[in-house]
Amino acid sequence: MTGACHLKALGPKVLSSLRGSPGRWWLVIAVVVAALLAFPQTMSSPYGLHLMILLFLSVAMGESWNVIGGYCGQYSVGHAAYFGVGSYATLMLLQYKHVAPWWGVWAALVAALVVSLLIGTICFRLRGPYFVLASIAVAEIIRLIVLNWKPFTNGAEGILLADIPALKLGDRVITDWLSKTPFYYLGLALALTTLLVNYLVQHSKLGYYLQAIREDQDAAHSLGINLSLYKNVALAISALFTALSGIFYGLYIGFIDPPSVLGVDLSVQMVLICIIGGIGTNFGPVVGALVLVPLSEALRANILTKLLFAAGVVKESSAVGGFLKENLAHAHVLIYGILVVVVILFMPDGVLGFTKKLVARGARQLSAAPQPLVGGLRGPTGD
Amino acid sequence: MALLEIKHVFKFFGGLAALSDVVCSAEQGKILGLIGPNGSGKTTLFNCITGYYPPSKGEVVFKGQRINGLQPDRVCKLGMARTWQKVRPLAKLTVLDNVMVGALARTNSLKVAREAAMEQLKMVRMERKAHYLAGSLSIGERKKLEVARVLATQAELLLLDEVMGGLNTVESEEIIQLILDIKKRGLTQMVIEHDMKAIMRISDRIVVLNSGEKLAEGSPQQVVENPAVVTAYLGDANVA
Repeated sequence: MTGACHLKALGPKVLSSLRGSPGRWWLVIAVVVAALLAFPQTMSSPYGLHLMILLFLSVAMGESWNVIGGYCGQYSVGHAAYFGVGSYATLMLLQYKHVAPWWGVWAALVAALVVSLLIGTICFRLRGPYFVLASIAVAEIIRLIVLNWKPFTNGAEGILLADIPALKLGDRVITDWLSKTPFYYLGLALALTTLLVNYLVQHSKLGYYLQAIREDQDAAHSLGINLSLYKNVALAISALFTALSGIFYGLYIGFIDPPSVLGVDLSVQMVLICIIGGIGTNFGPVVGALVLVPLSEALRANILTKLLFAAGVVKESSAVGGFLKENLAHAHVLIYGILVVVVILFMPDGVLGFTKKLVARGARQLSAAPQPLVGGLRGPTGD
Repeated sequence: MALLEIKHVFKFFGGLAALSDVVCSAEQGKILGLIGPNGSGKTTLFNCITGYYPPSKGEVVFKGQRINGLQPDRVCKLGMARTWQKVRPLAKLTVLDNVMVGALARTNSLKVAREAAMEQLKMVRMERKAHYLAGSLSIGERKKLEVARVLATQAELLLLDEVMGGLNTVESEEIIQLILDIKKRGLTQMVIEHDMKAIMRISDRIVVLNSGEKLAEGSPQQVVENPAVVTAYLGDANVA
């Protein structure tokens, strides 16, 4: 084997040696988690921490949606409802009733659970695109209620959090919530928990049943699966962790209003994280968050203009350069949208699925004889 | 003893009687063939039995229990399962996972379900395909997968809807052997089939449906000699 060929083969080889052995995957995960735990000690810039917190939040949102959308195939585009209900319940209790968030969380989770069962009972009567539309409609109803019920929710003005009481264990102050570090660890815990929940769902009877429902509802029904029960269980799990993400968001940012925690764009964001990363897979939402969060931050920071200047395509002092510098940053949502469309067009299984396909192709080129992969090329009967 | 009794079942879609006054029963351990021209109500009868639509009138009695209006998942839990004329594999799951979904109707343990599923795959001679995606199978394999999945639910009564449809002679022969093997296990089967040769070979009794009504019932020999059946299939000899 030549040197070049050897190098080219190395990537797939490493990955395929990992694929077969769960033990080694656990090692990789342990190293990553250890690095993430140590990260705040080495990172002095608050923006770096902020970016990581956003990433954790996106992972948690994506993984939460993945339970109902990815495994069960029920594409809810109304998940902002749970996010908003969670954050509103916690922040309202904290701001108006002075209930500490670690108690308020429980009330918020109950509220989200009730809302999810309500939405599930209504929307799961519908299938496919009709379910999607109904989920959007119900979430919009909740947004409008919050927006217009001024005496209760403070309407469009939203809730600006004054401060979070210090968390004490006995007399010892654990955190006063003034720096970003406690939120970093809270976010990390949230992201890891949702990841674990997805893993547990996938490797259980529930996961098998949800995937059966996704693939063919009628067939699933005939095999003894109670459709409305399992769909509602999946939605409830998904809603609880979406609400936790919302609570985390509200406490971290310290300000919520209907557009920021109940808007349709937030619901779409959760769906996108999964679709971009790889829907219905354990690590898809992680990949999606890793792609989308830095991308959106970089575009907001006008990285395209900076790249064009650095490459010498456009001069900063020229008229075009001035125009781009002024205006391209404003177009970040547009560019973000175009990039998302491109990914969906060329990677229908998401970035994770695309990478797996590349790895599989690399592995196939390695071995001289073509191997029957999953979905291999055999005769019609095969035996 | 009759495992399943269909007592004067009617099914109306608007003004159309898709089934009218159908009476038949599936005897324990026997194979009941169900034949009839296209649109004669065979699949509708399956749908009424398994809970996809409740019968408009009449009773479906399984193991002495009235099951009209029970949801399909409840019917499955009682010990009856069906295959689909248009096969419905869970395409993005592996063959083994498909059968495991069936097996999970009787257990909460994935390990137990996996073993049970593997056993059923051996029964239909598809254990070598266990880790292929169900979506990649040929039509013949998909039909066998449907049967394995139904067997895994530990059904006592299997409703097989055209499991030989679209298969070549070799594949059909395999399915016939499979149905006979299942009979040897003591399970009861109700089989819809268009392949007359096959249905004559495997059935203990045959019910003929025409325009939603029972036209004839009897042993395969009695049914082929029945002039009404011949007329339904080939048209009236006097007209031609």
